[in-house]
Amino acid sequence: MPAPKLKIGRVGVIGSGVMGGGIAAHVANAGVPVHLLDIVPKDGGNRNAVAEGAIQRLLKTDPAPFMHAGAARLVTPGNIEDHLDRLGECDWIVEVVAENLAIKQEVYKKIEAHRKKGSIVSSNTSTIPLQNLTKGLPKSFAKDFLITHFFNPPRYMRLLEIVAGPSTKPKAVEIIRDFCDHALGKGVVDCKDTPGFIANRIGTYWIQAAINHSIDLGLTVEEADSVAGRPMGIPKTGIFGLLDLVGLDLMPHVSKSLLATLPEGDDYRRIYRPQALFEKMIADGYTGRKGKGGFYRLAKGADGSRVKEAIDLKTGEYHVAGKPRLESVEAARKGLKVLAEHPDKGGKYAWAVMRDTLAYAASLVPDIADQVTAVDEAMRLGYAWKRGPFEMIDQLGARWFADKLATEGKAVPSLVTAAAAAGGFYRTQDATVEYLGTDGAYHAIQRRPGVLLLTDVKRGKQPIVGNKAASLWDLGDGVACLEFHTKMNAFDADLLGMVKKAIDTVTKSYKALVIHNDADNFSVGANLGLALFAANVALWPAIDQLVDQGQKTFKALKYAPFPSVGAPAGMALGGGCEVLLHCSAVQAHAESYIGLVECGVGLVPGWGGSKELLTRWATLPGMPKGPMPPVAKAFETVAMAKVGKSAHECRELGFLRPTDGITMNRDRLLADAKETALKLAKKYKAPEPPVLNLPGPTGVAAIQLQVEGLALQGKVTTHDQVVVKELAKVITGGDDADHIEPTSEDKLYALERQAFMRLVKTEGTLQRMEHMLTTGKPLRN
Amino acid sequence: MATYKAPLRDIRFVLNEVLADSEPLPGDEEYGADTADAILEAAAQICEEVLQPLNRSGDEEGSVLENGVVRTPKGFKEAYEAFREGGWVGMPCAVEDGGQGMPRLLHNVVKEMFCSANLAFGMFPGLSNGAYAAIRAHAVEELKRAYLPKLATGEWTGTMCLTEPQCGTDLGLIRTRAVPKGDGSYAITGTKIFISCGDHDFTDNIVHLVLAKLPDAPEGIRGISLFLVPKRLPMADGKPGVHNGVSTGALEHKMGIKASPTCVLNFENSVGWLVGGMHKGMRCMFTMMNEARLSVGMQGLGLAEVAYQNARDYARERTQGRSVSGTKDAAKTADPIIVHPDVRKNLLSIRSFTEGARVMAYWTGRLLDESEKHPDAAKREAADELVQLLTPIVKAYLTDQGFASTVTAQQVYGGHGYIREHGVEQFVRDARIAQIYEGTNGIQALDLVGRKLPQNMGRLLRRFFHPVDTFIQANGTEPKLAEFVMPLAKAFAKLQQATAQLAEKGLKDPEEAVSGATDYLRLFGHVVMGFLWCRIVKLAQAKIAAGNDADGFYAAKVMTARFFIERVLPETDTLFRTVLAGRKTLMEMPAEAF
Repeated sequence: MPAPKLKIGRVGVIGSGVMGGGIAAHVANAGVPVHLLDIVPKDGGNRNAVAEGAIQRLLKTDPAPFMHAGAARLVTPGNIEDHLDRLGECDWIVEVVAENLAIKQEVYKKIEAHRKKGSIVSSNTSTIPLQNLTKGLPKSFAKDFLITHFFNPPRYMRLLEIVAGPSTKPKAVEIIRDFCDHALGKGVVDCKDTPGFIANRIGTYWIQAAINHSIDLGLTVEEADSVAGRPMGIPKTGIFGLLDLVGLDLMPHVSKSLLATLPEGDDYRRIYRPQALFEKMIADGYTGRKGKGGFYRLAKGADGSRVKEAIDLKTGEYHVAGKPRLESVEAARKGLKVLAEHPDKGGKYAWAVMRDTLAYAASLVPDIADQVTAVDEAMRLGYAWKRGPFEMIDQLGARWFADKLATEGKAVPSLVTAAAAAGGFYRTQDATVEYLGTDGAYHAIQRRPGVLLLTDVKRGKQPIVGNKAASLWDLGDGVACLEFHTKMNAFDADLLGMVKKAIDTVTKSYKALVIHNDADNFSVGANLGLALFAANVALWPAIDQLVDQGQKTFKALKYAPFPSVGAPAGMALGGGCEVLLHCSAVQAHAESYIGLVECGVGLVPGWGGSKELLTRWATLPGMPKGPMPPVAKAFETVAMAKVGKSAHECRELGFLRPTDGITMNRDRLLADAKETALKLAKKYKAPEPPVLNLPGPTGVAAIQLQVEGLALQGKVTTHDQVVVKELAKVITGGDDADHIEPTSEDKLYALERQAFMRLVKTEGTLQRMEHMLTTGKPLRN
Repeated sequence: MATYKAPLRDIRFVLNEVLADSEPLPGDEEYGADTADAILEAAAQICEEVLQPLNRSGDEEGSVLENGVVRTPKGFKEAYEAFREGGWVGMPCAVEDGGQGMPRLLHNVVKEMFCSANLAFGMFPGLSNGAYAAIRAHAVEELKRAYLPKLATGEWTGTMCLTEPQCGTDLGLIRTRAVPKGDGSYAITGTKIFISCGDHDFTDNIVHLVLAKLPDAPEGIRGISLFLVPKRLPMADGKPGVHNGVSTGALEHKMGIKASPTCVLNFENSVGWLVGGMHKGMRCMFTMMNEARLSVGMQGLGLAEVAYQNARDYARERTQGRSVSGTKDAAKTADPIIVHPDVRKNLLSIRSFTEGARVMAYWTGRLLDESEKHPDAAKREAADELVQLLTPIVKAYLTDQGFASTVTAQQVYGGHGYIREHGVEQFVRDARIAQIYEGTNGIQALDLVGRKLPQNMGRLLRRFFHPVDTFIQANGTEPKLAEFVMPLAKAFAKLQQATAQLAEKGLKDPEEAVSGATDYLRLFGHVVMGFLWCRIVKLAQAKIAAGNDADGFYAAKVMTARFFIERVLPETDTLFRTVLAGRKTLMEMPAEAF
């Protein structure tokens, strides 16, 4: 579904610090021009130095705030003395200056003086209530003003909290919500004007509770993190690892501002407990990963290797980090309740942290948000919890939770009492999920128009066909969706078999196929572990057969009588990229990372990847004449195992066609892909096989010359030379190719297969595969 | 009475022909063919003339405990003296320590002869070698200086003290304690059982390597440390001084290897020194253990060899019945039993084992040499990896087949094999222990499936599977070889399939994989043998074709190979099925239903 008519044509960002710069970059990622203004430096000289410096810094930051180089050119630097007139061009002005009311109001006055009528102003404040921000400012300003609270880094964190004041025009809120949803891809959550809004209010409490209980129950840093991580459905950093990541020095600021603004009697005041050790760590520069270390640090071991150390919370001394194996952590596989009920200290700890945090969260609705859904969504998107607090209570059992609170003499929030009586915060009714409203009734969760989630499609249904590797779902309107669900969505014989089955099924009974899943990564490619093991025991026919099966399957997909639309998000590598290359079209999430990475593990793409990429370049209008230019393009991308770091970069590399679509909001990806598929299905004709004129041995010689040059500079390793030689043979069409005679697609498939089989038998390639599997990094042998 | 003749002709064939394709390694130049030959002759002589004649009497007399002191059987002490004088103890030890610096390959050859001649005796130097290796690899300089020369020259012997009454396989359960004395030494207290050569009258001191736990040790296997504890504390001049609180509580009464004293050792505040790091005992122990496991494999081979020689001689002499195909020796009242197919089947099953196993064992020795001395680091690593893979196979396959061979040899004798007179029943009893100690063969199978298969995503496997695959590709179409290589290719394919499936099952459910472990190890062993027999046949056929087989040695090789390929290797079909039969057939019955 196309985005609604956008009313934001240009954006102003004031303040070019980490957040301001990040927001400006992300607005530019959406293709919207940005004015980035900051103060004039006191030392004279370049009056735009601050904002210009910020853009330079953004270009060097990793992970990159910009999705592609072109986005940076959309950001125009300026200063708030000379360029305030530029605000007159902006439809939305975001203030991202220091968390100081006086400074902010000073800026608002300047904005108000220069902005155009009807433009919208928002603050990225995380601590100052909206009512204070607009105090003393004209009514006209307050009408157009709201808080838009981004999370760091703005490109990657999906949560956006929006707070509207009593005077804010609903239209202004609607426009910003739409823009941030469609153009910026955010999960927008409406909050009330209360301290810390939703995510930080609960998150800060949770961190404090987790610290307190680990000290009180005598858990080590490693033990605490082993519990309050994956077992609780929270990122594996746990608490102490998270503090290291965000910086220990951030916490006192957050606590201070919360303590200054939270209502009397708020439970955070009760549990807030400054730690002498933490204060000392901050004072000594142990602020976490950005400092000398934090609760963990990497030290050099006796043999020069890097050793992970952890701090002792009692003594403040570092020791080699242990690998705790608490029974409760093992037991947590059986569910959150099993963890909470486990008698060991890990179980006690998990219960204490959940008890306090979940009860606190329950006590805050409807004060901080109208409904529990907003709280759950905020914690999922803002803190990367697998389940929000109310979903966690449902996991534990609302009745069980309420009873246990009561047994322990704790106050039972009325919301929990209500959920216990009703049977939980959520229920599934006729394949739709309903939540328990503050009115005591269940209401269906409404997705915004244009949002289609595969989980919703699947709920309460059976797939059309499926096996342990993949399933085919009915999206309605004659479109089917193929979902991969192997580990990391890696390709194996079962998955390929299901692709084939999907082709047969859609041919018979559907109009179009979408290939999509809602895992973190679309597909990381072939199952390398299986392949390496097979290679180690010399099961060559099995490997050869898998290459053949993949080629035949993807070729069948390409020439199927129906259109196929790949809808990737996250990584689509190797085979994951090759399946996309064989689709009729791709609708990619903006955060798609696509690449043919086979050379990194000493192989060449075996399932038509090189062939398809070559075809893309060869048929691209405006390519220079002659057989070499497309060969050189494809060769370089594959040989260097280039991966696009965004959908835009993937397009530059040729993995996406100019006509392929990009969706910023992941929740809208499937709907967009389905729409593309239906559009294509209207008058679909399978493509004609490509006619490629390839240079053959002369091309190999040209590439070889280049490679030898690079080898002399030390840029190409010994085994690189073996691998790229094979790749060159494939991409140039083989020993008997000649650019006067067209080379057939089947010939290229055959060349890929032969080169793959020769390489997989070499020691250098097997070493690379093993290294990748055991360390996650490529081996440069 | 049993006899023994070192099989020098076959040993030379393996050394000089089968393994000849490797170039001499740095440091081994002086062990050329002539020197090696002289060593073989000398070893054969001491085995045939000194050790073998004591084998039976040693078994009958046994080692005994008298007044707290172990007395070895008559003649053993003198034999040890001669053995030591000849430099046989220090064969694998460094020249700088007073050893011979002999290649592992050659050491393995000599070890085989010791095992054939007198297994119980051979254990003494074997344990000294193990202790030597552990100290050399892990101890501090001071300990090395004080103890390595004593062990290398055989002036003192060594032991490995692991087992305790409550723990055998699971060494995490040990209770022996080591308390720091403050001067760098430790006070060791505890009881060790099953300590081979734990006490004796050969030498005036013994070097015990003892596993114990420090006071603050972590639980289980990660908390054990290794200590060097001498029976008597050396004085300043290196001579043994006061007794160190180590006493022999009892000797075990055993089924076999009776001349080898198996002791209960009590340590009471005995002074010991740490070898390797604190809590790093397992790593040090494995230095000894891996070496010991390969040596135990040799015991299976050695006993099968001597059992074969005696059974063969008996089958030629003993006359009973007439050949089914007509009388063979009309002058006598009956034909020698070697005319009977079943007797031949027995003999060939042993011989096809010993001759293949000999190549396997020596090859492993050669790989050990390569892993230590090859100038190319990649070759060293590859050789080491192959040794790691082959170690559980050499240990378990060679001792299982070795024991089976002694029983088969006994069978050739009929009732005369069951009585003591011919000495063959001693081989059966002696061979049995090799399947048990240094990690039972069940543990070897677990090591292979649970550790060696998944290690580095199957990298160890590559070191075996790739050369075999290459060999089959290169020789499978050779018409003369086809009758051997094609069955190998079939068995190899079974092994490949079983390996891949076991690895996949193991990822999902380890119990599923280990339920097939013992049969998998046997399947693997058969394929290794099949591969080696094919290589032997290739060499033999070339010799025959060139007219170099006057004594029929090579023709016999081809015939023995044919027996193995057609009558032993097909067992891989059955094993393939049982390997993959999975856990259900073993685990479904509740414990109380047994």
